[in-house]
Amino acid sequence: MTGSLPTRLRDGELAVDTRGLTKRFGDQVALNDVTLQVPTGAVYLLVGPNGAGKSTTLKVLLDLVRAETGTAEVFGLNTRERAPEVRANVGYVPERPDWGYGWMRVGRLLEHHALYYPTWDASYAARLAQKFELRTDRKMGVLSKGQARRVHLTMALAHRPPLLLLDEPTDGLDPFMRDETLGVLADHLAESPTTVVLSTHHVEEVEGLADHIGVLRNGELRAQMSRDDLNVNLRRYRVEVPDGWSGVASLNGTVLRRLTAPREVQWTVWGPEAEIVQKLSGAGGTVREVVPLSLIDATLALLNPND
Amino acid sequence: MLISLDPQDTRPIYIQIVDEVRRALVLGTLAPDGPLPSVRDLAVKLRVNPNTVSQAYRELERQGMVYVRRGQGTYASPGQGDGVERRALAEGVAQRALHDARRNGLSADELIDAIRNYEGKHKHEESL
Repeated sequence: MTGSLPTRLRDGELAVDTRGLTKRFGDQVALNDVTLQVPTGAVYLLVGPNGAGKSTTLKVLLDLVRAETGTAEVFGLNTRERAPEVRANVGYVPERPDWGYGWMRVGRLLEHHALYYPTWDASYAARLAQKFELRTDRKMGVLSKGQARRVHLTMALAHRPPLLLLDEPTDGLDPFMRDETLGVLADHLAESPTTVVLSTHHVEEVEGLADHIGVLRNGELRAQMSRDDLNVNLRRYRVEVPDGWSGVASLNGTVLRRLTAPREVQWTVWGPEAEIVQKLSGAGGTVREVVPLSLIDATLALLNPND
Repeated sequence: MLISLDPQDTRPIYIQIVDEVRRALVLGTLAPDGPLPSVRDLAVKLRVNPNTVSQAYRELERQGMVYVRRGQGTYASPGQGDGVERRALAEGVAQRALHDARRNGLSADELIDAIRNYEGKHKHEESL
């Protein structure tokens, strides 16, 4: 790889701002120098393989996990020193539902949760419960993963917090409920100004909602950028080359992937399109196609560069 | 007017929405002074960020295809179904066809010839 991928956003008001978060569990590095920047009002998609550090990052923001070094701020509040205030401003859907309230009925849990949030909107909670087909008479402990997820989504959304931290929010939901959940989120964003950090394996599901993306791997935030930036700078180039082609010295960009066949090469490159096309043509290649990538393809290229 | 997105289309979503509205204007499924769906309704229907729909509507307004009545909503500008919008739509189709031709190593002339040939041969088969 030559060049590098963007790891800092351009100036702008940040709802979430972490600096150099590092965390180890035993000899396992969970987070390594993570500087997460989520602009106010953004829907920020946090992607990465299992164990990349997505859940840990979200937990640091709620002070459920403490980093060894680095700082984290949510709306300018230090998450360690002002944890109760931070939590009051956050709706959180954990990856693993907390079974501590297993004996409690869903309806009772919602009432209990409402007491902690002065901004709890009871009529909205009722509408969400209906949308999510919650059975309020059931005990939490007997719910399936998907049912519990829907209870947590209701709890997270109904107090209309300025920040939502959603850890795999559609995990365990059937396709119908997944789709319904995306509709609920779109509606929620239209109704209440909200910043969202969403971690998921189902990138294609949230393609329409996300306007920023961060790529975590082995505890490192490899890249973060706006979708606009991604749309402009990440391209796949398909190029016809002469027999015995000697290649191109530099592409003025970061080569993420290269596929070579006789007389044809395909590059996935982060960089300015016009300059890259010029370099390829100048080196004797015929550029046949330049295409932007779907979000899922872009994610895979950023996560698994194989130059 | 129906607005739908093609999951295979990698262009930004706001541009796809702009094109869908343009298409509806040219086809007449969105009548002059006809209402567009609210930002909220369209965002929910398409499962997209409401900001993206707002961005599309702002772009449509900038291009004069729609106008906003404060507090009421967004409406199609009259007299948009012909001329300029038709040409813009044709340009988009041409751009995609030419892109596909180049990818296959064909020139614009070869593409145009092929279209005329094909049309001549299939004139009686297709009503379009």
